[in-house]
Amino acid sequence: MKLKRIAYFGDDRDAIEDLRETLEKINLQLKDFSPTRAGSLEAVGFNPDLILWDLDNAEVDGGNPPIEMIRESGFENQPILGVAKREDAEKIVKSLASGATDFIYKPVIGNPLPRLVAAMSASQRDKRVNWSNRALDTMNEQVRTILSSLKDPAYIVDPEFNILYMNRAAIEIYGEGIEDGTCYHMFYGRSQPCDVCLKSKGTARWRSILKNGKAYRFMSTVIVNSKGEFEKVAMSTDITPDEEVMKIYKTFISNVSHDLRTPLAAIDQYANIMLEGLAGDLNEDQKKYIEVVKRSSFRLGNLVENLIDANNILSGHFKLKLRVSKIPDILDIVLERLNSQAQEKGLRLQVQIPGDLPSVYVDTQRIAQVIANLAGNSIKFTEEGIVQIRAGYMPRGDGRVIVSVEDSGIGIPSDDLSRVFDMFYRVESDQVFLEEGAGLGLTISREIIRAHGGTLWAESLEGMGSAFHFALPAHKGDKNS
Amino acid sequence: MIVAEDQKTVLVADDDRDLVTALSIRLRAAGYKVVGAYDGEETYNQAIKHTPDLIILDVRMPSGGGFFAIDQIKHSLKLRDIPVIFLTAFDDEDMKEQAKELGAEGYFRKPFNDEEFMGVIKQVLGE
Repeated sequence: MKLKRIAYFGDDRDAIEDLRETLEKINLQLKDFSPTRAGSLEAVGFNPDLILWDLDNAEVDGGNPPIEMIRESGFENQPILGVAKREDAEKIVKSLASGATDFIYKPVIGNPLPRLVAAMSASQRDKRVNWSNRALDTMNEQVRTILSSLKDPAYIVDPEFNILYMNRAAIEIYGEGIEDGTCYHMFYGRSQPCDVCLKSKGTARWRSILKNGKAYRFMSTVIVNSKGEFEKVAMSTDITPDEEVMKIYKTFISNVSHDLRTPLAAIDQYANIMLEGLAGDLNEDQKKYIEVVKRSSFRLGNLVENLIDANNILSGHFKLKLRVSKIPDILDIVLERLNSQAQEKGLRLQVQIPGDLPSVYVDTQRIAQVIANLAGNSIKFTEEGIVQIRAGYMPRGDGRVIVSVEDSGIGIPSDDLSRVFDMFYRVESDQVFLEEGAGLGLTISREIIRAHGGTLWAESLEGMGSAFHFALPAHKGDKNS
Repeated sequence: MIVAEDQKTVLVADDDRDLVTALSIRLRAAGYKVVGAYDGEETYNQAIKHTPDLIILDVRMPSGGGFFAIDQIKHSLKLRDIPVIFLTAFDDEDMKEQAKELGAEGYFRKPFNDEEFMGVIKQVLGE
């Protein structure tokens, strides 16, 4: 067979012109067709000797593989070569697996003629198909060999997430018998595929704590088997902190916090001694200055405690002392302090909690800390009006107790609202900068609520006020839950 | 200041000398006699010498530290009934538990609330 006419399926004008120019120099005629069924039928009249298929148009007409479409249009024997950019190795592998004879690059590199002529030979074509199938089989075999040698869990799943292969480390955790299951059920205890896999088309990354109690960082990628089916390979790395490292870390934090608190205690003591007149009488100016020392030491102390707290909470180094509690009892822990803060600013602090509110199973001190933080912020950023703490019950699902702190304060600009829970984030306004704070309170609060299986969220209208709400699972066995 | 005959003695043990001085000022103003110690070993020696009515003890000190000192005190026939209150910058649940097991009457974390602290001292001394 002599090579004369080449049909190009695709809509990349630059690639078409580039190829036409190259091929015309060697007396070959190139005609382009739309990468659709209509285009392939139109190409029948052109009677091409060879077909080029732009892999950027690999899915057209509702996702039909164009190679099948082209064959169905009557081009049963013509060689079909993929045209792809150099970086599109995955597309090239897929096209070879779906039956393409070979591929060329766009823009054209060197003289493509030898490759096109080689593709014209039927024996050569068969050889290439076999070669590509063999190559894929070998590659997949190699992937399994590599996975088997890994010390941390790895597995392969099919497009429906059914487990096809598990390495020894995974079998040691889950046993041999689970290979019929899906990865999302077996590894992660879910009833549906995980979002991370559904949303990622290529490589995906996630972290998970597996059945053996260890934490792993996973990475998955897609490979193609010789039947053209996609398989997902997931590999992991054990990121469970070493016990020794944990011990060093805890000692470090403990020592740093000790060394920060010790001088603060001395500053605080001497300021009090002066203010109480234990070191002699002070004049009004001296009293004022010592008050500043005391206030600054108090702020510094708060910052140190918040930083230590944030560090412990965000790194998971805190234990909840859970017990069945009533929201009014939790509120009692902080209400006196909040009332006095509100009174100092001439604000009204209102509390509305229904008597039949179900209990919650929480660490009371931690939840009180969240309420104090939210209400403290409300008082801080409200100049006149009211700060309300309300609670209610939402029966949906297993039942949730919702606590809301609402104010008539300065509000939060909508652009900032989604970021107020970020660590160290502070809204940039004069009023906010006048108030003390490091931007840690809301981050800590959110993590505390999350650790209880709850949610914390905010809504606000700038200039009108803000509302912060948190929902906690109602205690099972309570009358409404 | 009028010194009563039944004036009670408080031993303050902390390697932060500034804090020992500050606590001495406060405790003397409240009518107590104060003796100081700056390490674990000295704490025991001062306790033997003065037989205080109360010992305020830091955890981290040279020569043994607070846990070593309370262990010695609670094993001494002469000293074992003297109440001990820990005053430390460590905020550690395990330490609090350990202090309780070793017989401490209280555990305060620095910086501390004066009113609360003095209240516990009075309570422990039965005043």
